[in-house]
Amino acid sequence: MTVVPQGEGALASRGGGGGGSGNLYDVLELVLDRGLVIDAFARVSLVGIEILKIDARVVVASVDTYLRFAEACNRLDLESGRKAPSQLTDLVGDATESGARGKSKGALSGAVEAVSESLQKGREDRESGREKQRVRSERGASRRSSRHDDEE
Amino acid sequence: MSVYIYAITKAEHPLDLDDVRGVGEDGSDLHAVSSGSLSAVVSEAPADLSVARRDLEAHHEVQENLWSDGAILPLSFGFVAPDEDSVRALLDERAEAFSQRLDELSGTAEFNVKGVTDEDVLLRAILTDSGQARTLNESIRDGGGTYEDRLALGELVAQEVQNRNAALAEEVLATMRPLVVSEQVAPPSQQYFVNASFLVEDARSEEFTRAGGELAERLGEGVELRLRGPLPPYSFV
Repeated sequence: MTVVPQGEGALASRGGGGGGSGNLYDVLELVLDRGLVIDAFARVSLVGIEILKIDARVVVASVDTYLRFAEACNRLDLESGRKAPSQLTDLVGDATESGARGKSKGALSGAVEAVSESLQKGREDRESGREKQRVRSERGASRRSSRHDDEE
Repeated sequence: MSVYIYAITKAEHPLDLDDVRGVGEDGSDLHAVSSGSLSAVVSEAPADLSVARRDLEAHHEVQENLWSDGAILPLSFGFVAPDEDSVRALLDERAEAFSQRLDELSGTAEFNVKGVTDEDVLLRAILTDSGQARTLNESIRDGGGTYEDRLALGELVAQEVQNRNAALAEEVLATMRPLVVSEQVAPPSQQYFVNASFLVEDARSEEFTRAGGELAERLGEGVELRLRGPLPPYSFV
């Protein structure tokens, strides 16, 4: 979670020229894309804006997007799963705890439990991190339950 | 002489332009062109005006300075009039619309809220929650599985990413909406799950910022909310 307000006191003083260089990026699109447009007058060539537009393009469902996501999931698996087996347990173990509802029970869960058991010890070391996570999912935020304990 | 235009204000705006410089290599002098009840803040248009940091920053800074002293209509970056007379003609021609909008915007500010999800966190959550995604993901491990498996996983995950991002966006909008006068929501993009500008009354701006902070707290790890403001009302002119 991160909030980046413009700065303490800015609210009271209404801006006051707070547009320092570090802040330009977030307002760039406002300065370029919004604001009053006067059709009667000439406008500087906005070729540079095209770069912004690429960043801001709407998500389109395409084969490329799908392959990219598949790739990303696979990469995650490699990074957090196989290099450090205990982290795989966290990922999959969580699923038995909170995520694996309905359909996912089955062939997979047997394997999951087996892996979980053998790595139970490693998980205990991170008990405090896991506590936080339980609290979080109890509060009903499980649909975006975070994985901060994977980050070791 | 062609002039670069920054903003339109009421004639009674103090137009304190001493400490701020306009676009151009050395920062051009600013002055007002007035007609009737309105003024336009302008400077000489530099020959090398371009969409680059130097001029973008100057443009924005002039507007923030003016706006801190009273309502303005900030122009979009890059407008150049052939001469001051044509600026006066514009002020006359659209006097009523400009005045009305300035009245409506006085005592308000724009806040922009951008939300970014950490893709790794999001994908992990999806793999955790979806047995089907996990199964597919395992089937393509080590280059295994078919092209169709990859597509199926990608499609499933893409859909889930979109659903989750849309739910997050809705949560942001639903939280902020009761506190604002008006809103401008950009379509969701690859970069931001939400990108919305809100027009907020000065009296509520503190409450708005606080609500934004609490919301970010609630959304938790893997979600970044960037709240920018108060700003001149770019999205509401």
